[in-house]
Amino acid sequence: MSVTPATSLFVQVTVNGERYEREVPARRLLVHFLRDDLDLTGTHIGCDTGSCGACTVHLDGVPVKSCSVLAAQVDGASITTVEGLAGDEQTPLQRSFAEHHALQCGYCTPGMLMSATALLEQNPTPTEDEVRVALQGNICRCTGYWNIIEAVLAVGQNR
Amino acid sequence: MLLREVSYVRPGTVDEAVSLLAEHDGARALAGGQTLLNVMKQRTASPDVLVDLGSLDELRTISVSGSSLEIGAMTTLTALIGSSEVEVTRPILAEVAATVADVQVRNRGTLGGNICVNDPTNHFPPLLVALDAAMTVAGVDGERVVPAEEFFVGVFETTVREGELLTRITVPAGGKGTGDGMAGVTLGAHGTYVANAAASVVDGTWRVALGCVAAVPVRASAVEEALSGGSVDEASARSAVAGVGATLDPPSDVHASADYRRSLAETSIVRAVLQAHERARG
Amino acid sequence: MTTVEAQETTLQKGFVGQSVPRKEDRRLVEGQGVFFDDVKRHGMGYLHFVRSPYPHARILSIDVSAALELPGVYGTLTGDEVAILTDPFFQIAAEPGGSIKDYALAVGKVRYVGEPVAAVVAESRELARDAAELVMVDYEPLDVLVDARKALEPDAPVLHEECGGNMTYEGRWEWGDVDAAFDAADHVVKISELHFDRFNSTPLELDGALVEYNRGTTQWTITTNNQFPGFAVIMMAPAMRVGTDKLRMVTQDIGGGFGNKITSHPQLVACCLLARKLNRPIQWTEWRTDFHQSMSHGNERWFLDTEVAVTADGTMTAFRTKALDDAGAYLRYEPLGGVIWAQVAPGMYGWRNIRLDFTQVLTNKAPCSPNRGYSRMQHLWFTERIVDIVAQELGFDRVELRKKNFVQPDQMPYETPNGCVYDSGDYPASLDLVLELIGYETIEQRREEAAARGKLLGLGIGSTLDSGTNNFGQSQLINPELQFSGNNEVATVKLDIFGEVVVTLGTTPQGQSHETTAAQVVADVLGCDVDLVHVRAGHDSYWNSHAGFSGTYASQFAVTGLGAVKGAAEMLAEQMKTLASMVFQCPVEAIELADGFARLADNHEAALPFMALGAIPNANNAGFPIDPPPMNARFVYRPPFDVPDKERKFGKLTLTYAMQIHACVVEVDPETGVYELVDYAAVDDCGVRVNPKIVEGQVMGATAHAIGAAMFESFTYDEDGNLLTPNFYDYHVPHTLDMPPLKTGAVESPSPFTSLGTKGMGEGGGGGIHAISAALQDALRAAGAPIVTDSHNPYHRVFELLRHPERARAKVEVTPPSLQAGRPSGGE
Repeated sequence: MSVTPATSLFVQVTVNGERYEREVPARRLLVHFLRDDLDLTGTHIGCDTGSCGACTVHLDGVPVKSCSVLAAQVDGASITTVEGLAGDEQTPLQRSFAEHHALQCGYCTPGMLMSATALLEQNPTPTEDEVRVALQGNICRCTGYWNIIEAVLAVGQNR
Repeated sequence: MLLREVSYVRPGTVDEAVSLLAEHDGARALAGGQTLLNVMKQRTASPDVLVDLGSLDELRTISVSGSSLEIGAMTTLTALIGSSEVEVTRPILAEVAATVADVQVRNRGTLGGNICVNDPTNHFPPLLVALDAAMTVAGVDGERVVPAEEFFVGVFETTVREGELLTRITVPAGGKGTGDGMAGVTLGAHGTYVANAAASVVDGTWRVALGCVAAVPVRASAVEEALSGGSVDEASARSAVAGVGATLDPPSDVHASADYRRSLAETSIVRAVLQAHERARG
Repeated sequence: MTTVEAQETTLQKGFVGQSVPRKEDRRLVEGQGVFFDDVKRHGMGYLHFVRSPYPHARILSIDVSAALELPGVYGTLTGDEVAILTDPFFQIAAEPGGSIKDYALAVGKVRYVGEPVAAVVAESRELARDAAELVMVDYEPLDVLVDARKALEPDAPVLHEECGGNMTYEGRWEWGDVDAAFDAADHVVKISELHFDRFNSTPLELDGALVEYNRGTTQWTITTNNQFPGFAVIMMAPAMRVGTDKLRMVTQDIGGGFGNKITSHPQLVACCLLARKLNRPIQWTEWRTDFHQSMSHGNERWFLDTEVAVTADGTMTAFRTKALDDAGAYLRYEPLGGVIWAQVAPGMYGWRNIRLDFTQVLTNKAPCSPNRGYSRMQHLWFTERIVDIVAQELGFDRVELRKKNFVQPDQMPYETPNGCVYDSGDYPASLDLVLELIGYETIEQRREEAAARGKLLGLGIGSTLDSGTNNFGQSQLINPELQFSGNNEVATVKLDIFGEVVVTLGTTPQGQSHETTAAQVVADVLGCDVDLVHVRAGHDSYWNSHAGFSGTYASQFAVTGLGAVKGAAEMLAEQMKTLASMVFQCPVEAIELADGFARLADNHEAALPFMALGAIPNANNAGFPIDPPPMNARFVYRPPFDVPDKERKFGKLTLTYAMQIHACVVEVDPETGVYELVDYAAVDDCGVRVNPKIVEGQVMGATAHAIGAAMFESFTYDEDGNLLTPNFYDYHVPHTLDMPPLKTGAVESPSPFTSLGTKGMGEGGGGGIHAISAALQDALRAAGAPIVTDSHNPYHRVFELLRHPERARAKVEVTPPSLQAGRPSGGE
């Protein structure tokens, strides 16, 4: 590993199972790297202070705000975005969101799905309070959260 | 939202990190990035060089050594919450960590970062002062240990100098007769603190620290004296805080006037003290 | 009292009324939605605005040379260029507000912190941002005006010199015989000051656009999230000196609007000018801080010197007040806020005598424009405060006082003193339902139980209306010269060559489920499965499926949009039956549309699938003695409105009146002023519910916005004109852990005025704000009984009410004092 600071770095990263290699400016945020460099526009931007969670992705299996991580920091890492959730079929959580009207404009939805997916991977039958805590970092302005919480709980109860 | 041009480097050892911080003017350590990157997005701070501590696994350990809990500075808040060592020796650290912001922030944010930022509204500075913690700071010439009270120097400022790195936080392990509490008012659930107080009792000796009211945590020594060695209940706690507000010079902002903060400070002390007292007895 | 024919709904029982799953969801849960920032064009330049750091200053000079020298910068735009290339935007206001010169960039002066002064375009977002820092602007700071109550003082700084002062609109709105009602009153309750605070709905997606210019056709394509393209184009085209068809507006998915995405036209013009100047597509995405500082604040309104006339039995007969509205630094959609409140002038109550003196002023703050509940919410909060304060001060039960003064169900349709007609509704029954949901009978017991834990518990009721489908003729009540009236929306429905049903709308949904609800209506009219109806996503002016008022705003889609859809579907249905009758050589009346076929009603074997019908006019039209119908229908829905009477300010301003009643239980910590919402219920009546789950979702969203506005959200400025809440650090919006448990209920009072019996309902009317104000006042009865006079009640304000109830109480006076009123407990 080089110990000379550089303004531009070569990053190798796996996103949704696919390997990418790119030269990136040191200052580029991960969310812009995903959206602009890799054309993965499912991850959204809703603020400029790391407060809203619309940019949430999984970094090495753990939900993080991609606006508060540099692209340079994910060299060698594995990332999952909302585009990587569904395989041939949607996940039970994606279906549950639709069944419970847990989205209206859909802008917060990718971030919500990433946070909720991480919760269910770790805790398959969460309580309502555990769901609220898991989604505390994701702002929604359309739904008031109630249907989102129901949608996540419903997946838990079905296990 | 978009950073100024910056240079980035990711050292593999603490020694490399310290050398880089010493060698480059305007270099800053990048820990969890939850505060620093957002400050850089606002362009209120724009270091020339970011030294990413992300590969320094030696700074991520938690261990119990004798009667101390040793926490690596790069320990994430999530790791703190999940740590059995913390749960057994000083659970207040995990409880407070669980109220910081949200899961995503806790997955990246570190204990070291939280205290090095020393935002007056941060959770850990007053708590660590109340717990009588000590910080280990590494430089090119070796290490030094700084008691929590001396660590915090000004708004966004600690005793860590250019070319130095916080490596470890040492917290006395609790035991029988120890009780800790933290109370305050936040902007929404798990939000930013508007006022807070941390209290800790060890065999009848009290330490009480206020956050949010000054550049650095403030020891409420008059309260500590009034409580130490005596019986503690709601009446004695209230009596101990009477007049504390008047000794403070807290800021006024959109969330609270100086007077409101004074009042909240007193109330927070009472509640933190009673919480600590309950736990010491239990 | 006007008599109106109720319209019968001609729909068979079918998809309308069912909670059909949403068509929008598949792409959105898979991250395949297309929001404007997702769209890319080869060679596009990223735009960054240079914004004013001063709230009020003259621009002495702008030097872009250093920015232009930065490698990767494509070009810049300044106010000087804009002033040459464009004319000022049309102003809705009459004089003096009509004299405002408003351009795409600041010209000569800046008037609020964050105002765009110049634009830089570069090959990356980061470079554009860097280059913006190199633009040198020389300002001469001027005195700052932040408090609307000082805007008309003789030495107040003047924002727009052309207006001669800061007043943009003033008018007296009076109906009935107000003075006589006061003379006859047994009590007069005076409230010196009520204040509705400044906030907005902060949709998660910010404003922005990708703008392309076609040099061959001199046409712009604007891919954006502006939610009212009809209005945007009316503003942009004359300013840019081009015909409206030169501005093609395209939207697909929009991340929330709530009214806050109506006035981005100045920025869109800047993008258009740069796209033409630089001959490349221009990409602009607003930042959260930009939005908070400069876009679409909700109207801040003071109600001063309010007086309410009440008879001994509790009938409220009259009110008079002075409304002072703070419009911010420019009028973009204002001063329409000065008339729109009149849609609900008496609120839900039977006042027949009203006098409201409305004054709107400018201040050095972000320009106001519509925000969820636009202008009615402020007024309805005011009427609810009156009811609660009158009840408390005169010793009436606030439930009984409401029921006594509500417009009663047997009065519907009800003509208000200013000629608006409340179409339908059962307010007392709705109130009973919400009280049942909140457990009203157990409140006193819960209050005692909370007191034992050291908490003050309170219950608040907030009743509100959501008036929908504007008559734009109301604009003439604030400016008689305007040539706007009525309303419209457009839809097309066709069968393609293979019989696919394709629908286009003129609307710009931002989560309101238009694709789904439109498909439900079409499926019922055409007698086919809802899955067979394909509704195109979003809006595109190339579809020719829009008119001057097209967009999604003002709680009207269920009436205007679905009215257009129903009309077009019915036209198509007629065409299909006619074509089938030509094929089967039978009378049209013998044909029915059912099960996806056009068939003989008395012989289902004789059936034509949609594919057969679609193929004929498209590819197989020989051999017909008369033209087969085209299987393609376009319908313009027009609500039945007249131009209101400008003299009397009288007439139908809105077509439908949905209603919500909220009930909220709070627990206040008397030591800190911190409070929690421990229980919550909301009842909605929006007439026929096309999709009940979607309706409930709107009620929930409106509730969440109201909770945020009541507890946390305010655009607060310091005295130097700096916004203290410019981002989500300090402007806290509710997160999951802030939300109370919620019960919802629904009542359906169909509207007699709409083709489906629906009423528009998305905005909600701010019921939660009214309920939380009331709950706090109820909780604090035990602590000196202060009255709540602000819509925004963060912890510090509640603390102040607890510490100094007498200061709040000083704002209310009853003459003569009521013998009936209970003494407030706690000291005074």
